[in-house]
Amino acid sequence: MSYLTPKSTEEALALLGQAGADVLAGGTDFFPSRGTRPQTRSILDLGQIDSLRGIEKTARGWRIGAMTTWSQIQRADLPPAFDALKRAAREVGSVQIQNRGTIAGNLCNASPAADGVPPLLALNAEVEIGSPGATRRVALSDFVTGVRRVALSPGELVLAVHVPSLPDDAVSHFLKLGSRRYLVISIAMTAAVLELDGPRIATARVAVGACSPVAQRLPGLEAALVGLTAAEVAALPVVPETHLAPLAPIADVRGSAAYRMRAVADLCRRTVIAAMTGGTTDE
Amino acid sequence: MPDTLAHPVRFGSNAGQPVTRRDGIAKVTGTATFTADNSPENLLHAVYVPATIARGRVTHLDVAAAEAHPGVTMVMTPGNRPALQGDPSAKPTMFSFRIEVLQDDSVRYAGQPIALVLGETLEAATEGARLLNPRYAAEPARTRIDDDEAAPVEPGGFGRPAGVEHGDVAAGHAAATKAIDVTYETSAQYHNAMETHAVVAQWEGDKLSLDVPSQALLMSCAGYAYFFGIPAENVTIRAPYLGGGFGSKAIPTGPQVLAILAAKETGRPVKLMLTRQQMFGPVGHRGATRQRLRLGIDDGAALTVIDHEGLAATSSFDDFVEPAANASQGLYAAGALRSAHRAVRLDVGTPGPMRAPGEASGSAALECAMDEMAEAAGIDPLEFRLRNYAETEPGTGKPYSSKALRECYMQGAERFGWSGRPLLPRQMKDENGLLTGWGMGTALFPCPMFAADARATLRSDGSALVETSAIDMGQGAWTALAQIAADSLGLPLDMVEFRAGHSSLPDGGVAGGSGHTATAGGALHAAGGDVIRQLGEIAAADPESPLHGAGNAAFSARDGRLYVDGDDSRSDSFADILARAGSAELVGNGSASRAPEDAEKFSMHSHGAVFAEVKVDPDLCQVRVTRMVGAFAAGRIINPKLAESQLLGGMIWGISFALHEEAKHDPRTGRIVNADFAGYHVPVNADVTGLEVLTVHEDDPYVNALGIKGVGEIGIVGSVGAIANAIWHATGHRIRRFPIRIEDLLTA
Ligand SMILES: Cc1cc2nc3c(=O)[nH]c(=O)nc-3n(C[C@H](O)[C@H](O)[C@H](O)COP(=O)(O)OP(=O)(O)OC[C@H]3O[C@@H](n4cnc5c(N)ncnc54)[C@H](O)[C@@H]3O)c2cc1C
Repeated sequence: MSYLTPKSTEEALALLGQAGADVLAGGTDFFPSRGTRPQTRSILDLGQIDSLRGIEKTARGWRIGAMTTWSQIQRADLPPAFDALKRAAREVGSVQIQNRGTIAGNLCNASPAADGVPPLLALNAEVEIGSPGATRRVALSDFVTGVRRVALSPGELVLAVHVPSLPDDAVSHFLKLGSRRYLVISIAMTAAVLELDGPRIATARVAVGACSPVAQRLPGLEAALVGLTAAEVAALPVVPETHLAPLAPIADVRGSAAYRMRAVADLCRRTVIAAMTGGTTDE
Repeated sequence: MPDTLAHPVRFGSNAGQPVTRRDGIAKVTGTATFTADNSPENLLHAVYVPATIARGRVTHLDVAAAEAHPGVTMVMTPGNRPALQGDPSAKPTMFSFRIEVLQDDSVRYAGQPIALVLGETLEAATEGARLLNPRYAAEPARTRIDDDEAAPVEPGGFGRPAGVEHGDVAAGHAAATKAIDVTYETSAQYHNAMETHAVVAQWEGDKLSLDVPSQALLMSCAGYAYFFGIPAENVTIRAPYLGGGFGSKAIPTGPQVLAILAAKETGRPVKLMLTRQQMFGPVGHRGATRQRLRLGIDDGAALTVIDHEGLAATSSFDDFVEPAANASQGLYAAGALRSAHRAVRLDVGTPGPMRAPGEASGSAALECAMDEMAEAAGIDPLEFRLRNYAETEPGTGKPYSSKALRECYMQGAERFGWSGRPLLPRQMKDENGLLTGWGMGTALFPCPMFAADARATLRSDGSALVETSAIDMGQGAWTALAQIAADSLGLPLDMVEFRAGHSSLPDGGVAGGSGHTATAGGALHAAGGDVIRQLGEIAAADPESPLHGAGNAAFSARDGRLYVDGDDSRSDSFADILARAGSAELVGNGSASRAPEDAEKFSMHSHGAVFAEVKVDPDLCQVRVTRMVGAFAAGRIINPKLAESQLLGGMIWGISFALHEEAKHDPRTGRIVNADFAGYHVPVNADVTGLEVLTVHEDDPYVNALGIKGVGEIGIVGSVGAIANAIWHATGHRIRRFPIRIEDLLTA
């Protein structure tokens, strides 16, 4: 095996085509998933490709480089629509993990409990994928196809995550439920991005993680939220089960399926209210 | 926190000071060497293969594949394991368990070593171990406590608890006008000290040098020596620092014995360090329990009976039984008292003593039951405990050597703001709408003394060397014991060189049972006293000393000088006394243990009261412990800073026990599915807010010469119950299974 450290995307793609290497970003999923098995394939370390790091404003929105870390996302100067993503960034593992772990690593690892996915789904994010001489874009909802499965072909790399422009006054929030306060794998998490018309919701995008193999948007709930004020959302009895139909939680060591469903119904409502009221509910 | 002995203390003023940990800088800068930091020349690395089934036989190991891997030097299996001179099922010392050292191909629990691979590098050994690729003939694993399988426990031997019966239990039940009958469950917990178990073994002829984290150096020497048929004196152990022990590092384990055997066989030094995952198996744990408590009261809310039956999980091949019901023996005045134990044999590693063994699990159930009884009586839980306050030891009537529990209740309640607590549950909400509840629990912990020796050497320059094989597993022995030694010699701390953590030193005894500061400290105190006594004799007989002719007058030592008691005008410096006597040094010896008569006369316990506030999300049922106050009376506090840290650590463990810690078995394989820190949860800093410790003044002239009771374990006791009771007070739900999970509250 060899340890490859390309300095540019082109070089990386070329090496990947020749060597069939395993791609390494921050390594926070890569290494733990290896267990005691030896690494026999070559490793392609993206760490020295400067162009893959950082966030920039583009004509049609925002481009977040694949190697941008969660710490960088937290500190970036971004409008309130990104608050959900920033809150998620603060909840990925611990500070040490956030300093290493990258946005593309989180998406490509495709864990059902990946904290980055719900906020990015709610932001309608797209994934920019590069192969030698070509790039393509895929909606995030089409990119993550299953537990630890993504729509990447051999030889392809994720280069960036794109977030389309949003009104400046769009708001957002993210809540994560874990069995302890910090450094915990999510039992469930919810993200909401809302465009407002005065005190009322004009459009809503709500996504839920850790309650299905792939995080899901809740279109039924999103439609039902349109036109409501924060007080009206608060007064809603419970989120009807039909709105939660896209979810299929499992029971695992972290929580039962029934608990997840009940908790999610409540988390969705809280997330929406917090987004509208700038609430600081810390759960 | 006040020192609990009036100043000036007997020989000076070091003890009672909040001296900062003396080994702190070495630890935070990484210069403190832990066992696995030692890498002698020519080292081989050992990695063992843990069984991935819980019961059955190993039918195949691919030894050829492992041996063929470059760098692998030896593969040890039951087929070729060199002979041991000692029987793996024997128990050579008080701290011995039956161990698994490849004696046959059977598997008795998941995680049991089934082969050992040696390699020139850790990587080679790791890969060799992986390549062995075991196959098994598996049998169904038994991993759940099942009442039908339970058998009574015969008392006797380490880890076989006795029960007691005082008064007429049947009459106590009959006399009750109100009664409860409740069953609580506690889960298996694994110690998981930061430093995993390790060993670096080197043989020279029939002499064995070990780096090994041990809570009992001399006993470990004897324990390891036994398996190799050599005298205990032939074994030397270095253990200057332990990265935590919690009871799991007092007992030689199978993997460590195998590594030592490998060193003997190869003639090379061998290092073994357990991975985090391997900590869930062969190195002990807190066994799961199911405890039934039947309490009764009369019309005045006086307890007529406490009837506590513990059912504990143990392994299929050894006898450690969590002595949970014993927690009810010494705490509340009840007309009749019974504690009894039964055990269920499961396909798990042998449980063992884990920080506050018995008391932690037993108190969790007892304190909840007391809360339920108070609820049934319709009175405040603190008031209920005061009405049943034991003025003498329940059952035996023995006086307490000291007992400031009432003061703990009062000071703790005051500090917490207990008064005005609504009697009924679900009455309080905070500004965010979170259900808020307050609960309390009583803490009790015995004050054992082991035996220890120490040596103090006064040098001609007036400085001293003090030595004992004491253990610092993080609790602060390097600091607190040096403070005691300095005091005993009347020297400032920086004039005392303290040596510990090596088995060639005088036997410092066992760091366990919360008795190490009392025991090793007692020996140091006596050794220093011996030096001062001899120094006084020399000076009194020396015509040139200002102390000449002081005869039988007592001397006291301060700041390197000897004074005639009560006459500060007559003094002489240590250095001068030695110089005139032409002595290069003066050696004193001391030892400490408890006289059996004293142990008979008094009931000796530390006490405490813990108050907790929790907030529970009414919809998500998430529980946060927002505040805890623990007030503890633990005799004399040698170092308030370290004692507070021990007590806080215990209370944090209480949070862990109440809300987080649980090893979960896969019912199909018997494997623990959450055998790492991603799945086995303990609280993180963000879960620990608003904790406060008070130490309550207590002079105890009987417990030992220094009046020390110990603070290492009592912090957990009472805390678990306090949290569970606060959850009930917040929600109205009694969850009778630990850890309390959010979904239990949801479905309650
Ligand atoms: C202690 C700990 C706690 C954690 N807590 C959380 C948590 O709370 N929430 C959470 O969501 N996650 C958590 N994680 C997981 C992890 O930190 C995150 O998923 C992180 O974002 C992964 O990023 P990385 O850069 O480290 O990815 P890596 O580990 O380097 O890579 C992950 C996978 O993605 C692939 N990959 C990476 N970049 C690219 C690319 N540009 N193109 C193609 N493939 C790529 C790699 O080949 C690999 O398969 C935790 C991890 C640890 C160790």
